[in-house]
Amino acid sequence: MKKQNLKICVIAMASLVAVWAGSSASAAGKKRCTAQGVKVECPTQSDAVLERARESYGKEAMDMAHGKAGSTYGIAPFDYLTGVGKRTDKTTLTEGESGYGGSAGGGTGKTELWDRVKAPAKGEAIYDQWTNNWSPTFKETLVPGADPNQGKQWYYFYCIACHGWMLQGDGPVAIDLDPRPRTLVAGRYMNKKTNLELFTVIKGGGEAVSLSSSMPSWGNYLQDQDIWNVVAWIRAMQDVKSPRDLDEYLNPKSTFKPIAGDVNPLNAADNEDFMEAQELIEAEIAGRGEEMQGGKYVEGGLRERPQDVAKEVKLGN
Amino acid sequence: MRCNHKFLIVKLFSAVCLALGGLSSVASAAEQVPPWQNAEHDNKDTPLHDPMLLYNAGGLDGKVAVIGLPSMKTYRHIDVGVDLHEVVYGGSPAGNKNGTPDGKYLYVNDKGANTIGEINLQTGMLERLIALPFPFGVHHIALSADGKYLFGTGEYTGKMSKTEIATGKTQVIDWGPAPSAPDYLDVGKKGKYVFAGNYYHSTVGVFSANPFKFIKEIPVGKNPHGVDVIPEGTLAIVSDKLSATMTVIDIDKLAVKKVIPTCAGPLHSVMDVYDADGGTYEPGKDSPEGLTSKYAYESCFVADANVKIDLKKLEVVDEIPTHYRTGHIAISADNKYVIALNKFSTGLFSPTGVVYPVNFEMWDAREDSPTYGKTLKIIPVDGEPHNAKTIYAYQIKDWTMGQAEKGGLLKAGMMTPVIHPHHMAKSKRFFMPKSNERPGVRMVNGVKEIHVKAFSYGYIPRQIRVNKGDKVRIFVTNIDKAAGITKNPDVTMGFTIYGPYGLRTNLSAPRGVTAVTEFVADIAGEYAIFCQHFCGPLHLEMRGSFFVDDPTKEASNLDIGDYGKAQTLPGLVEEGQLTIAERVKSL
Repeated sequence: MKKQNLKICVIAMASLVAVWAGSSASAAGKKRCTAQGVKVECPTQSDAVLERARESYGKEAMDMAHGKAGSTYGIAPFDYLTGVGKRTDKTTLTEGESGYGGSAGGGTGKTELWDRVKAPAKGEAIYDQWTNNWSPTFKETLVPGADPNQGKQWYYFYCIACHGWMLQGDGPVAIDLDPRPRTLVAGRYMNKKTNLELFTVIKGGGEAVSLSSSMPSWGNYLQDQDIWNVVAWIRAMQDVKSPRDLDEYLNPKSTFKPIAGDVNPLNAADNEDFMEAQELIEAEIAGRGEEMQGGKYVEGGLRERPQDVAKEVKLGN
Repeated sequence: MRCNHKFLIVKLFSAVCLALGGLSSVASAAEQVPPWQNAEHDNKDTPLHDPMLLYNAGGLDGKVAVIGLPSMKTYRHIDVGVDLHEVVYGGSPAGNKNGTPDGKYLYVNDKGANTIGEINLQTGMLERLIALPFPFGVHHIALSADGKYLFGTGEYTGKMSKTEIATGKTQVIDWGPAPSAPDYLDVGKKGKYVFAGNYYHSTVGVFSANPFKFIKEIPVGKNPHGVDVIPEGTLAIVSDKLSATMTVIDIDKLAVKKVIPTCAGPLHSVMDVYDADGGTYEPGKDSPEGLTSKYAYESCFVADANVKIDLKKLEVVDEIPTHYRTGHIAISADNKYVIALNKFSTGLFSPTGVVYPVNFEMWDAREDSPTYGKTLKIIPVDGEPHNAKTIYAYQIKDWTMGQAEKGGLLKAGMMTPVIHPHHMAKSKRFFMPKSNERPGVRMVNGVKEIHVKAFSYGYIPRQIRVNKGDKVRIFVTNIDKAAGITKNPDVTMGFTIYGPYGLRTNLSAPRGVTAVTEFVADIAGEYAIFCQHFCGPLHLEMRGSFFVDDPTKEASNLDIGDYGKAQTLPGLVEEGQLTIAERVKSL
């Protein structure tokens, strides 16, 4: 992205009236997206898929409330003296019990791994207690100095509501957003976006790159290195299809090829466009007076400096 | 008739006897804990006197509730403000989280209004309300070792505060870089340090208590929540919310001693406490020297459980199921009961409207009890209580049967204020069916309409700018089908703009409902928007910003705004009832 454009876009964030980019863009198929200056079809899911994803997610939640699907909610299974009704090892959800999957269409519409593949044997991957999910551990990265494993976790916490568990743009609230959230695994579109654009849209929100204001700014939630890690996770998942077996699930093959001359965490501090964009974004997002400069590295939460990440997670092809 | 008359006389006689008995036993009452206590749940034990009382900061109902232990009966509610978070007994922080109350005052912070309330425990009324400087955003407070100061975390500005209780004078220091969100804090028992978690830095900040200044940051797990110092004062234990671990910090070395895997979504810890003889610690009777603890109990939001941690071995020894999504956690002063302050009551209780109650669940922590680990009582609770702490009932006297005539309840020669702040005011509110309007700001008939969508975990738009003097109408629509990650289907989203707009917002939007508020944005500045319902594990991170720009000045930020005016909190209390905290360079 040209420096001038970025400046205008970021400044547009300051305007009092929120810009709802492409105000009549209800049809997902319209060529209102651009990739390297060329108009392309927006990679989004159809309304039918999103409606189904939302409904099946709601069904799963209601099943929990009524004590179905191995869950323990609701008055029926609850005995407060014995603790009966509490989910235990024996009543943990198993394959086929999650209501969210159903007859998935273009999107995955699935929240639990057992809807996708069989749970891996111990040691084959990390079990994330938090997201109740088995997921791949990446040994390589496509963004030097950024760790897709760390990015994956932030993604599960902050991004799934709209972009979906498997980055298909089919999160349970996607149907309520207009324009619809992007399918983040669409290589034909995403692979043409520079790191600067991806970083900027996450940190500054959609308006920072003239996209939908439905994409909030995350620069007040995540440190710069966290955002780089999310970029690495997205890069690692380009055109990754629903896995046929465990091996495919644990070793996703991305179609992303690094763009020549693109900014990355290792060279960001020397990149003029990048640094200027940060200054503009940080002036606009909240929580900063003159004394509270942002984006700096703070050790904690398993965070590492880009140079240390680069040593641990080597660069893929 | 005669019969009735006779009966009446008998009743009168026994009432007099009771009253006399009450008077004569005043002196010994302090030493006696009623022996009637029967914790076995037989649906018959409905005690009228409770040996302990639980005071809780009621969250979005703006009240402190007083609940008896172990009867779990709600005695009363005390008006304090908008959105209450932490309760701290005056006295000293020696001991466990309940501290060492002197029975005089209870301090409670209001995150919605940016104030600290002082409740007189003996009158049971709010006596003073300290308005902290702006911009700040006080999340929690902790009492200094000498009992004279309150430390506070400025979640919305990355700042920390120290307030002198007697005068309200406040020192505010920065804790950068942004993003920075200090949330829970505790003091070292020896008075040297203050420890605070910062969920954006994923560190625990160490501050010197006197002089009040930043010392260092200790890296911990992802997005730490509670930071709690054990009674011995040797360890600070940190609930690493997104890492499912507990980081144990050695206070002497100011370094991490151990990281223990605990449970999914750990939020807070409490510990038991024993006096130097190994018996129950009774403040005012036992020496606060040489206190020890055996177990910590940590709440696990995502795992729907409380875990028990052996503080010698530093490992998890038991897991107790809770119903559901425990946030804060409290322990009875006698170590017998743990109270899980649950944020969801999915499927429990009768509905009373569109907003469901949360609940308190008391489980039996006595290892030798036949009902150990079982839930003894579970009660629906109004508001959305944050922390709760226990005090022995003997510390609160009965002033209604003549004792006040002897003096001691009220200070002589002065009028003791009784303050009843407004909970919601200076706005018009509506509910409407789920709005499908696009998010954003639009001018409609001279009113700036702001459409906001709330989801797990955030707001669209996240930054809202209006001009000073604008009449604004805010529509908040909950677009969640269920709470993110935990999938609770009964998710209610909140929307509060802290400070001068706290009173005018404090909106609750259950699924399928759009909540509306209308007010005039008459005070410039940058004010954080937050979700006052504990909607899920990333609820704290569900934030936005409301900028009110003064057209005659530059765009508002943390340096530019009518912050002096904001501190007067128009509409909260009557003029002259607010103690405006003076900002000082050092305390």
